[in-house]
Amino acid sequence: MGAWWVVPVWKTMHYFAIAVLVGVVGLVDLRIVGVAKALPLRPLQRLMPWAAAAFAVAAASGYELLRINPANSFGPPVNVAFAAKMLCLVLIGLNDLLYFATGLKRQVDGVGAGERASASAQIVAGVSLALWAGVIYWSRMLTFLAGAI
Amino acid sequence: MQILQQWTEANAFLIWLRESSSIWAYPTVFFLHTAGLVFTAGVSIMINVRLLGAAEELPTAAFGRFFRPIWIGIGLTAISGLVMLASDLQTKLGNRVFAYKMAFVVIAVVLTVLMRRRVAAPRVTASTRALAAASLLCWLGAVAAGKFMAYF
Repeated sequence: MGAWWVVPVWKTMHYFAIAVLVGVVGLVDLRIVGVAKALPLRPLQRLMPWAAAAFAVAAASGYELLRINPANSFGPPVNVAFAAKMLCLVLIGLNDLLYFATGLKRQVDGVGAGERASASAQIVAGVSLALWAGVIYWSRMLTFLAGAI
Repeated sequence: MQILQQWTEANAFLIWLRESSSIWAYPTVFFLHTAGLVFTAGVSIMINVRLLGAAEELPTAAFGRFFRPIWIGIGLTAISGLVMLASDLQTKLGNRVFAYKMAFVVIAVVLTVLMRRRVAAPRVTASTRALAAASLLCWLGAVAAGKFMAYF
């Protein structure tokens, strides 16, 4: 399966990409929730393409890692941590869809320096933060729960 | 050193952490370490990206407020890291990649201290950008060293 360093290089890319993703999500969501109110949200949300690019890197490296060691995630039996991680990602997708499709994103664009985001935006941001914590939790549990029921 | 070694081998909590197969033992401490690092590195990386030229309409001074969450993340990572180190002192210290990881982390933390004041400055100078680039590379290095440790 190639040189010994292939897997750690993919893992490094995967981990680093998730860090960038969580960095953007952390900055934007924490600001929406109420941290660093001096930051206007419109330019802050301009960082979102960085999250999209990082997601692409995380997905590609994640796919490679799955291909190299499918048994760790797919089993049998299916790794509970892997299933839970994918579930969190699906929920993040739905939460983001809600954010963009309902016009919340545009509403939040209008939140200037010193202003407070709406309660609905704060709830969506809070859910997003919790789900990303879930992604990291289940990622970490992947190796520990492989082969468990 | 020997006394420290003996203490880590006899400490009840560290024994439990080493030997328990519970998901609440080692895996949970490892999770706290990962969560702290991912958050700290991620937010620091994006602040660096801003200082290097992205989203220039963002006022950098406002990022100052994010340093408290960053320090909470560093604390969480450091404490959980020390606990894992103590639970497996000999193997970790014997791993030559571990020294690189610590070097990257220490420099990254020092740069975080320096960056706090740079962010508050009215202008992003060339030296601030250099520090931001160095910080970015250190976080990447720390992650890579962490991943490669398992192979040495």
